[in-house]
Amino acid sequence: MKGDFTDRMTNFLLKYGVITALFILIVFFSVSTRAFFSLDNFFDILRAVSILTIVAIGVTFSVVVNGMDVSVGAVTGFAVIFSTALMVIWQIPWYIAIVGSLLIGVGIGLFNSFLILKLRIPDLLATLGTLYLTQGLQMWITKGDAVYRGMTNPWSPIREVTKGFIPKQFLTMGQGFIFKTESFRGVPVPVIIMICVVLVSWFFLEFTRFGRAFYAVGGNIEAARLAGIPVKKYRTAAYVISAVLATLGGLVLASRIGSGAVKAGDPYLLDAVASTYFGFAVLGVRRPNVWGTFLGAVFVGVMLNGLTMLNTPWYIQDFIKGLVLVSALGISFAIRKESR
Amino acid sequence: MSSLRGKNLTKAFPGVLALDNVDIEVQSGKVHALVGANGAGKSTLVKILTGYYGNYDGTVTIDDHEVSLRTPFDALVNGIEVVHQEVDTQLVSNLTVAENLYLENFASNKYGIVIFTKDLKKRAEKDLNDIGFPLPVSAKVESLSLHEKQQLVIARALLHKVRFLILDEPTSSLSLIEAEKLFSMVRKLKERGVGILYISQRLDEISIIADEVTVLRNGKRAAYFDHVPELSKIIEAMLDAPQGELFPKRESTRQNEVVMRIENLRWKNRVNGVSFEIRKGEILAITGLTGAGKTETLKLIFGAVRPDEGKIFINGKMVKMESPVVAIRNGIYLVPEERRKEGLILDKTARENITVPFLKDFCGFLGRVLFKKECHHAKSLAEKVRLLPCDIERQAQYFSGGNQQKIVVSRWLGGKPKVLLLDEPTQGVDIGAKKEIYQLICQIAKEAAVVLATSEINEAVSIADRILVMRDGKVVAQLNAKGADPKVILSYAAGVKQ
Repeated sequence: MKGDFTDRMTNFLLKYGVITALFILIVFFSVSTRAFFSLDNFFDILRAVSILTIVAIGVTFSVVVNGMDVSVGAVTGFAVIFSTALMVIWQIPWYIAIVGSLLIGVGIGLFNSFLILKLRIPDLLATLGTLYLTQGLQMWITKGDAVYRGMTNPWSPIREVTKGFIPKQFLTMGQGFIFKTESFRGVPVPVIIMICVVLVSWFFLEFTRFGRAFYAVGGNIEAARLAGIPVKKYRTAAYVISAVLATLGGLVLASRIGSGAVKAGDPYLLDAVASTYFGFAVLGVRRPNVWGTFLGAVFVGVMLNGLTMLNTPWYIQDFIKGLVLVSALGISFAIRKESR
Repeated sequence: MSSLRGKNLTKAFPGVLALDNVDIEVQSGKVHALVGANGAGKSTLVKILTGYYGNYDGTVTIDDHEVSLRTPFDALVNGIEVVHQEVDTQLVSNLTVAENLYLENFASNKYGIVIFTKDLKKRAEKDLNDIGFPLPVSAKVESLSLHEKQQLVIARALLHKVRFLILDEPTSSLSLIEAEKLFSMVRKLKERGVGILYISQRLDEISIIADEVTVLRNGKRAAYFDHVPELSKIIEAMLDAPQGELFPKRESTRQNEVVMRIENLRWKNRVNGVSFEIRKGEILAITGLTGAGKTETLKLIFGAVRPDEGKIFINGKMVKMESPVVAIRNGIYLVPEERRKEGLILDKTARENITVPFLKDFCGFLGRVLFKKECHHAKSLAEKVRLLPCDIERQAQYFSGGNQQKIVVSRWLGGKPKVLLLDEPTQGVDIGAKKEIYQLICQIAKEAAVVLATSEINEAVSIADRILVMRDGKVVAQLNAKGADPKVILSYAAGVKQ
């Protein structure tokens, strides 16, 4: 009987441990701070993690095929500068800036897969190279400057003041709200974008034959190849999706901050990788999965938001992130090993 | 009735003729057993028939139509499938049974783009039920037993409408009960008209399951029987004529001092109570088929694997072999079977590979490696084993198989070997180097005890003092090497003789 109970507890902990912990956190913060439990704050938290989630889902794709893409942070940053520079320096319409950035994202993904599949550079090294290349280009576009309204054109010989600006339509992506009512601020647009990305990727990976093929390629590439799955195409697709989502994250970020800050994407790399691995623990599946990544990001978001409200100093927040990641993975992997 | 026929199949590798003009015919509804010692060409033949080698000489016909098997897909399209010995390579372990069953459907739109787990499970349940293979459809493959994994691969082949199924040593890691289940599965396949090529080294099961038998030896077809003959006839065909000149003449140097005694060694169900002792100056050969537990036994003695049970005594004192570190401290050294994977650091030089276990001896202040001393040491050992070319700064991967083996052996000569464990030291080594390795072994045996695990029975008979025959993790026979009959040994190893 007792063994049975422990077994069931273990299983419960494995499957719902992270969700239970999230629930406990929410209850705790709601009781201890007054501002925490409100619809506005709920959406604030989601908005705070929206860009991270978008980028992290890209990383999830690369991890699903048993690869790794560390260029995402730099690609995010590149998209910030590239899109804003197009609009401000070269006065290109906002929609072309968006489409152009996404196309460049596709290009970066293809370049990554060229390095990995054609030149056979190990994925970590190849994408590290791309990290520096895109970071370098990012700086080069503006000769190291940030992009803002009224900046001097770095490419003009007479250093004239730029006439372009970032239009409202573009800013909506990061700053807008929809479904406004009298008593409700509305749902932030970045949250809508994030939810779309989560739902589409989730559906794609879990319910389509393509998704199964992605997992098969990551699980046993030889078996997948012999089953007739074009493994190279799938690996290419994973890196392209990763780069495109990083670019999308960059566009939302640019719109949110309303200017083109240099190296704005850097922090997203580590957070995205952490969320992906955190996702291994969610639901106890021990493989990269979209909901896991999403909940991982939300978990950290809730934690940081609540702690900020409790006036926890900013300088211990990274430590807490680390603690959460290590304990989630520790529980998920250690328990599994014991039960074997 | 249809048949798969290979004619004059030949496959050459640089320096070796792996398969030499072999004919074989598999008929639907029949089990054709393919037997042969290690390196006889069985797996080469399998790889040709499954399209793994794009290049081969000879022709393959199905019902008198010639087919070209240049890629694994060609084989699949022609209804030829295989269940590998390492069945894990054919499955995606972190996916479910149902998902693995329809793996190739995810490569095309045949079943639509959107796939619901529920539908997939339902279909899997129905399909498995139809062919009579009860498997838990939503279990992950990693949680299945080996037998269940084989069942899954066979079921998948049946869903593809397989016509010719190759079973590559399917029972080598199965328990007796599981093997029984496999046999009944094979009978079911026969009833469905599937032609089966059954590869095995276990002769006892040939008489249970086979309808006809082909024996390979050194890449050639040594014999064909259209029925299952007396097993002694198969054994005769399997064995090489003894090659006297290959082995050095050796006077036994056995002394009275017992250096090592093993008592009741057990590990999982792979090693089931192995006991023996070995004296100074003795060469003890452990022989048996692949999967008999030889490698595992050596690894247990070396502390690379922790035993579930059993004691090891060195010079009469019990030693707990917790790790290779302890073994090496006690003068017990292992030359592992897979030298490229376990023996060598391929991209390092011969020098570094030779000095790696005793590097401490050539270190100065703060662990700085004394390069000259190290070079000198490596050079002298390389000369001792006659490394060719004797260039210690060459990367290990660029040496031939035999010379790579010499590097691994020479590394241990730098210590004071008490017991040297050699696991298939002449596998994949050309004849000239083989001869040299035998000489080296005899030389080492003058001062130390040597345990030689080998599946080449002639090797065991020719250079050992004593021979242990293992089967299913147990020692089934102990004989003196002098005057031992290879046929008797093979009968023990193959389970013909109890």
